[in-house]
Amino acid sequence: MRERFKNLMLVAAIAAAASAGFVGTAAQAASGPGYDDPNNWPQYHRSHNAWRFSPLTQINKGNVKNLKVAWVHQPGTITHGLQATPIVIDGVMYTIAPDNNVFALDAATGKVLWRYTAKLDPVVKEVFYGSASRGVTVGRGKVFVGTLDGRFVALDQKTGKEVWSTQLTDMKKEYGALFSSPPQLAGNTLFGGTTGGDQPIIGKIFAVNADTGERTWTFEVPRDDPKSWPGDSRKVGGGSAWLPGTYDPATDTIYIGTSNAAPDYDRSSRLGDNLYTATLLALDPKTGKIKWHRQEVPNDSWDFDASYEALVVPDGKGKNVIVHLNKNGFVYVMDKDNGALHNAWKYSENVNWTSGIDLKTGLPIDPVYPETGKQKLHCPNLLGGRSWNHGAYNPSTKLWYSHGMEVCNTVTSAKQGPVPGIGGLSLGLSEITLTNPPGKKADGWFGAMDPLTGKSVWRVRYEMPGMASVLATAGGLVFTGDMVGNLYAYDADNGKELWKFNAGSGSRGGPVSYAVGGKQYIAIPTGLGSHAPGFLTGAFPQIRDLPGGATLMVFTVD
Amino acid sequence: MKDLLVMMFKRSMAAAAALCGLCMTAAAADAPFDLKDPARIAAGKLRFGSTCAAYCHGNEGTGGKAPSFKGRKDFVAADAFKTITEGRRGADIMPPWGNAYTPEEIWELVAYLQHLSTLPPAQ
Repeated sequence: MRERFKNLMLVAAIAAAASAGFVGTAAQAASGPGYDDPNNWPQYHRSHNAWRFSPLTQINKGNVKNLKVAWVHQPGTITHGLQATPIVIDGVMYTIAPDNNVFALDAATGKVLWRYTAKLDPVVKEVFYGSASRGVTVGRGKVFVGTLDGRFVALDQKTGKEVWSTQLTDMKKEYGALFSSPPQLAGNTLFGGTTGGDQPIIGKIFAVNADTGERTWTFEVPRDDPKSWPGDSRKVGGGSAWLPGTYDPATDTIYIGTSNAAPDYDRSSRLGDNLYTATLLALDPKTGKIKWHRQEVPNDSWDFDASYEALVVPDGKGKNVIVHLNKNGFVYVMDKDNGALHNAWKYSENVNWTSGIDLKTGLPIDPVYPETGKQKLHCPNLLGGRSWNHGAYNPSTKLWYSHGMEVCNTVTSAKQGPVPGIGGLSLGLSEITLTNPPGKKADGWFGAMDPLTGKSVWRVRYEMPGMASVLATAGGLVFTGDMVGNLYAYDADNGKELWKFNAGSGSRGGPVSYAVGGKQYIAIPTGLGSHAPGFLTGAFPQIRDLPGGATLMVFTVD
Repeated sequence: MKDLLVMMFKRSMAAAAALCGLCMTAAAADAPFDLKDPARIAAGKLRFGSTCAAYCHGNEGTGGKAPSFKGRKDFVAADAFKTITEGRRGADIMPPWGNAYTPEEIWELVAYLQHLSTLPPAQ
């Protein structure tokens, strides 16, 4: 009887939600980050816990085979493809295309509402990490852009007109350090870091007042400490934060990961731990002071960084923990309030740079360093056990969906000389080639894992590693794409392929889901870009034949 | 008369500029040293290894999105000099190196690439 009453109440609740114009959400009963604001994709990872999970259920396992194109958007520029994760708020999509072309689009039709083309310093033509941007941030009535010439810019959300612009880097002196990712909001603080892990600079995280653009604080990633940085190594130590951080309003904390130290493979001049490179930072948004930190790769000599998303998930014991993938092939599970290590599990199938992570200290056991003038095989490769393309978490399955890259690299370290010009990098190399793991053919995989333990539930092999981020939905689906141009929807429970669409060029951006006018949409940026595919030709020569492009594909069901 | 003089002056300046442009093109097309000079090839190899190979083109120019340089039959030295100097932007980016290296240093890179083109193709 009690069960029947419950069922009746559930039916009544669903009917009430339907009449209120909601698009079915299986997670209606739940609330909080990840569940709230179901019709929108209001921030980079949709919610600050970095789930990339949409609670919408109108598109589900039963009807995903009927997905059809609703509209497409082509920005007209294709250099380095589409790498953004679009933002959608109240029926308007905000996104960014190559060369800092920002668009506001009607999210139901694709109609261009406004366009902003950043007037960039000509110096951007000389930089290495050019053209691409991973998105914009929307809030406080503004659209925020991190530009390719080292500025934060605020646009009026309704008109796209520039409200303020603040120059933060010195492009010529700082080897083209620029913003390839959208700065993020923490209250009225707008913060973000630059490219620069591979450049002979002091990498920085910048913060400004989001309403005025006035600078508030700057965090220098290489710590001013001769033990960490012997001699003058700090001044050319790199360290940056090139991916978006996240902001937890409940604890008023910024989580942001930092890059490798420079010169990347030549550690001879920086024999210290090189804090705060390759570190997950928890920062106070008002001051930029450190609340806690966890360095994952002391004296990083493999270009491993610690820059990926800080996924926050329930630990099954009533608390939340941070799950943090490192390029080094391990996932660090830690206390979200102090960084204490709970677990470190092996993500990559092929790891040879260390024999494991000491769970007491969090340090790598017997790390195998590059040696000057000697060719060595290191696994994972410089792009990581996964590239920066973000995973997604479904709170119903309690699984984390993410790509893997089983590729190694041969490296011959070399003494780093003066870095030539703005486009120059400080890699400390005489040679690097991406190649097969020992005795195996290099490949990729896409899989579902327990984020706390790494236990694999299902895994799909890819001929080449997938470079697109992932979207999980309450419809029991997982969306992503491959380098060739195929877009996929998988059954979240077992990895069965339920839908496939050939977009013609590979996917590197972030798929999202949203609803407008009672209809759910799936938006997937396509157009292969970034330097990563070029690096991968060593292991996959067929990448040379893959076309570039830039097309935002949007799908729905009738 | 004054207008005519001004026009004649402008025309002569334009002709001079065109000639100058031709001179520059001619200068760029010609290496200032023998591209088969082993010392120049070695210097180019060193520079290529720390920059071009490390960034994009892979060991001995066999990686990256560009076609492999080893065993390449269509290698044209002047075209390589121009591409390195000016860079290239399309679906991908190759930054320009004309402000980072002297023309002589770029020609040393070209000497190495030309040498690679005479080697057997990469397997």
